[in-house]
Amino acid sequence: MMANEFLFETVNLSKHFGALAAVDDVNLQIRRNTLHAIIGPNGAGKTTLFNLLSGNLKPTSGKVFYNGNDITGQPIHRMIHIGIGRSFQITNVFPNLTVFENIRLASQAMEKGNFRFLTDASRLKKCEERAWAVAEKVGLKEKAFSPARMLPHGDQRKLELGMILAPDPSVLLLDEPTAGMAAEQVPELIKLIREVQADGNKTVVLVEHNMNVVMSISDTITVMNLGKKLAEGSPEQITSNKEVQTAYLGGLYEL
Amino acid sequence: MNKPRVSFFREYRTILIFFLVMLVLPFIIGLFEGSTPELVWNNQGTYSKFIQGLLIEIFILALFAMSYDLLFGITGLLSFGHAMFFASAAYATGMLLKFTSFPFWVVLVLIFVLSVAQALLFSLVLPRVKGITFALVTLGMASVFHIVVTSTDLSKYTGSDVGLQGYPVPAFFNASAEKLRFYLIALFILVVTYILYKSFVKSPTGRVCVAIRENEGRAMMLGFNTANFKILAMIISSFTAAVAGTLHALYQPAIIPSIADLGFTVTGLLIVLIGGVGTLSGAIIGAFVYKLLDFGLRRFIGEGASFFLGAVYVVFVLFIPYGIVGTWMVRRLGWNQACKQGWQRLLRVFKSPPKD
Repeated sequence: MMANEFLFETVNLSKHFGALAAVDDVNLQIRRNTLHAIIGPNGAGKTTLFNLLSGNLKPTSGKVFYNGNDITGQPIHRMIHIGIGRSFQITNVFPNLTVFENIRLASQAMEKGNFRFLTDASRLKKCEERAWAVAEKVGLKEKAFSPARMLPHGDQRKLELGMILAPDPSVLLLDEPTAGMAAEQVPELIKLIREVQADGNKTVVLVEHNMNVVMSISDTITVMNLGKKLAEGSPEQITSNKEVQTAYLGGLYEL
Repeated sequence: MNKPRVSFFREYRTILIFFLVMLVLPFIIGLFEGSTPELVWNNQGTYSKFIQGLLIEIFILALFAMSYDLLFGITGLLSFGHAMFFASAAYATGMLLKFTSFPFWVVLVLIFVLSVAQALLFSLVLPRVKGITFALVTLGMASVFHIVVTSTDLSKYTGSDVGLQGYPVPAFFNASAEKLRFYLIALFILVVTYILYKSFVKSPTGRVCVAIRENEGRAMMLGFNTANFKILAMIISSFTAAVAGTLHALYQPAIIPSIADLGFTVTGLLIVLIGGVGTLSGAIIGAFVYKLLDFGLRRFIGEGASFFLGAVYVVFVLFIPYGIVGTWMVRRLGWNQACKQGWQRLLRVFKSPPKD
């Protein structure tokens, strides 16, 4: 059964913005428990594809399957309950709430009791414990009570990761997790992503610009260009692919 | 690592002190004018009664402003139709008392139903419009209500421009005979509402409402169906405003249509801004400042009071944009800094915009 091998599958997925086909007839299969990277030059449609996978955008045509079920057009707030969590390229947190509260809210969404409106939120013991565990995992335990907006950029990226780890989804869609991070912080974050993926039987899909990162951690790489899937394969296959080199370097260097 | 849990009395220390002070205030004022506590208890002391009357109005305003703060400051929904919740309950109380012979508890139940229905009416447009558009849609709905209330065709029922008068108030809530009792009821309702609101903000539901204010898109991504939370906040807010409206109807001898217009919503907004947006306690403090200023200026200046009131609000917004409670909470700024920033904001108003 295909449903077992591929966790995520898109069938002829297209998204048009007016005349622009940002994502054009893409068939993408993402294997269970792998780390799948999507790369491509600027404007290749990576983030749009991502938004289609996570339900933030509705496709113009085509379908998205998750675990063999059609999830096209599911409301955004259902996605995490299905098991799909996503992080954002531009840090997207609750700026005036504390780090801990940010993570706690993320885990609270999965619990019952969201509508108990007179008991204290700290009574939801499971959320509290989960939030502390995640805060420790992403290394923000010491800063748990400072407002999210006061965090340096690198820590905000960690918080972003923490907020999608807290509900414990089966798929993590990470949109440029290292964007804007200081170079020395990147390996730490990558190690973390690898750990999470390895010990939790999770599937990770990430968009990334940092080639060192992509080549070192991915199991499979999909290269996109001009809204289409250009190539797919292991890091070795991708590095030696002529078409990919052309897309990245431009036709000027063609021999 | 968890924050230690604090006891009820410690947590609500300030509001409980406020409650006690307000409880003894009529008697203390009575002592100043030479009436013994016993006389005050029997609704005698003139000056004490006068202060009680002023405070009742403040409590009602505070209740109204607090319900607005729940919507605007906590959940982040800017509504320009909030006065409708208040006014419709006031009118409903008056009309039900005047034209029907229902027992008072039935009237209260009907008002509860009415307030929920109105919240649901506002919620109809919630998923479709956001931000300022939502504010305008709510303004439209409330304006319809205001027009209906003031229309001459219905003057038999609503009293039109003159207002609704001559409805019988249940003896227990008769403020002219039993002012102290009414004062205590209003005070009690205000304090209880404040405590309930505070615990709402700390509850799982309240946390999600705050998250919606901060970043609704992300709250949705986290897996919360934000529409439900907004509707719930709307219902709670609407009901509180309705309670305030009912108290208003019981206390005032007549219900005038000005409580249904935009000006009254803006009063609520101003009170919240003066006190501090999203602080809840700011609504109480703001109501005191607003009413006392309004009352004092009108008394000493007369007609020109509105001008000075306006000036005071401008100064408030420029110099303490976080409001009284909000500024108290972010004391790190310090007064020097606050004054300097205020001046800069004031100067910016008069300076020509920088050329590109």
